[in-house]
Parts: sequence; structure tokens; C-alpha cells
Amino acid sequence: MTAETMFYWSLAVTALGLVLIGIWGVLTKKNILRIALAFTLADTGVNLILVWSGFLPGRSAPIVDSSVTSMVDPLPQALVLTSIVIGVAVAALFVVVGVLAARKSGSADVRRMKELRW
Amino acid sequence: MIRTIVGLIIVLALSAIVISSISDYSVPSQLLGAGRFYTERGVDDTGSVNLVTAVVVAYRGLDTLGEVVVLFCASTAVVLILTLIPIGANPTPPSSIVAFTAGVLPGAIVLFGIYIITHGHLSPGGGFPGGAVVASAFLLVMLGSNTIPGKSKFLASIESLAGLTFGLLGFWGMLTLGQFLNNLVLPAGSPGRILSAGIIPIISLAIGAKVASELSGIFASYRKAGGEE
Repeated sequence: MTAETMFYWSLAVTALGLVLIGIWGVLTKKNILRIALAFTLADTGVNLILVWSGFLPGRSAPIVDSSVTSMVDPLPQALVLTSIVIGVAVAALFVVVGVLAARKSGSADVRRMKELRW
Repeated sequence: MIRTIVGLIIVLALSAIVISSISDYSVPSQLLGAGRFYTERGVDDTGSVNLVTAVVVAYRGLDTLGEVVVLFCASTAVVLILTLIPIGANPTPPSSIVAFTAGVLPGAIVLFGIYIITHGHLSPGGGFPGGAVVASAFLLVMLGSNTIPGKSKFLASIESLAGLTFGLLGFWGMLTLGQFLNNLVLPAGSPGRILSAGIIPIISLAIGAKVASELSGIFASYRKAGGEE
């Protein structure tokens, strides 16, 4: 296994690890701001997986230059640009709704937020 | 305790599923499909050296317009929800480090943001990252001051103007070349120059202004709602 393939697969492992840490945090944490943080982590991991899927070892960034002969796939990177912006929008809303819920229930603990229970 | 165990079980099951599904995945050796099309035709079609920008602004410009709309909806919702929270009386005063930095750095940060926005078709960057950088300068100024930001007509009008520019450029392409957001209503020029790539630089500017003003609006309403009760 060359250094390049190791780098390639370590990217995949990092991305997957981020997603799993995020899901674990969403499932087990109780503070709503920590849940928002974990959610953002999972979001970052998904973005990394998308970029990784368009990455080919040994190729350069998709910017055309006279010295560039082969480049990686630009499409996943363009998708991830969209995904990052949507992620920011969702995170901003998440935090605001979380703060509002915490003010209403007097605590940031999701177990004390009874309004959404059934 | 039981929560942790259940969470761990779910995460382990998920990772097992993913690992088993990618275990027979082989590293691709060449580009196929859309990626190949974009790398072969991108520069000739759009005049943009940066192919990611070519895809985002030229080939999939309509999606980018939708993305801007999503960001607009989110910032509007943030402002609406935060009006339900009473305005904090005293914003937390800045530490001396933050106050000093807020007096020195913002000019350089804004300049860097404008550089990223205007070179979107030449190097990594474009409207979204550049706008975020400009908004971070605004955030720094806000954190370094003791006052609560008021309503800003200037920000709102910049935001509307940028959105209007984006839409009108799209309709210009529709009227002259029969395609919404056709990139080549302006000449493609010679790739690699700053004045090239059709309407990509103008759209980058519009997106940058819109993102910067929207993120600044979100930060300002956070700041208004924060502070001690």
C-alpha cells in the first residue's frame, strides 16, 4: 500500500468517523446545543464523503492550467459547496430554535422540554 | 446509561453496514459521466478556469439561485424567531484582546474577502466563501463593541439589490440567448484573466454581497438576543 492509497482511505475513514461521532452525539447527548454541535459534525462528515467520492489519487484540483494534465471530479465539490451553505442555514436555525426552547423550558436539557412529547 | 448503550449499538450497526457496502469498492482510475464532461468542456463552454465555479455558477446556476433563496429563508426565519426572545439588556463586554483586534483586522479581512469573491473563476473561492469571510469581519467588529446593533437599512438594501442582480442576469440570458442564466451573454474572454468567463464574476459579486449581508444579519440578531437578562 503506497502513501497515496493510505491517504485516500484515511480520508474515507475520517469522514465516516465524523458522521458516526455526530450520530452518536445526537442520540446520546442531552444539552440541545451539544446536539446542534453533533449535528454539524455529522454534516461535515457527509460533505467530506461527497468530496472523497470525486477524489482520484494523484490528480490535482479542478483548476485548468497549462501544467495540469489530469484533475479530480469537479461535480462533487460543486455539490458540497451547496451542501455547506445549506448546512450553515440549518445550523443557524437549529441554534435559534434551541435557544428559544431552552428559554421557554428554563433549561437546555432536552428531557425537560415537554411540549414536543406525546 | 441505557441511552449510551443503545447509541453505541446503533452507531456500530451503522458502521458495519457502511463498511460492508464499501469493502468491494475499487479506486476509480478515470473520470466518467458528468465529471468527465465538465473537465473536458468546462473551459470552452464557460471561459472559467476554475471548473467548480463553472459548475456552480454556469452549468447549475439555477440550483445556486435556489441555494441563495434557502439562505435567505433561513436568515429571515432566524430574525423572526429571535423577535420572540426579549432583547438582552447588556451585551457581554469584549475582552481587551478582542477589542484591540476588532480595531485592527477588519479592513484586511474585508479586503481578503473581496479578493476571494472577485477571483472565484480563477482560483478556489467565489461568492459563498468570500461572503462568509466578509461577514466574519462584521462579526469581529460587533464582538469588539459594547453596543447592540440596530436595524440596518443599508444591509437590507444591499441584500435585495444583490438578489435582484442575480435574477435580472438570469432573465437577460433568457431574452438574448433563450436560456435562463446563460453564461455567455457577456463574452467569455481569454480564460485566466480577471475579466473573463462571461457573467460569472458579476454573479460572484452578487452572491458575495448577498451572503455577507445575510450572515451579518444573522450575527446581528444573535447579538441582539444575547447578553445578560
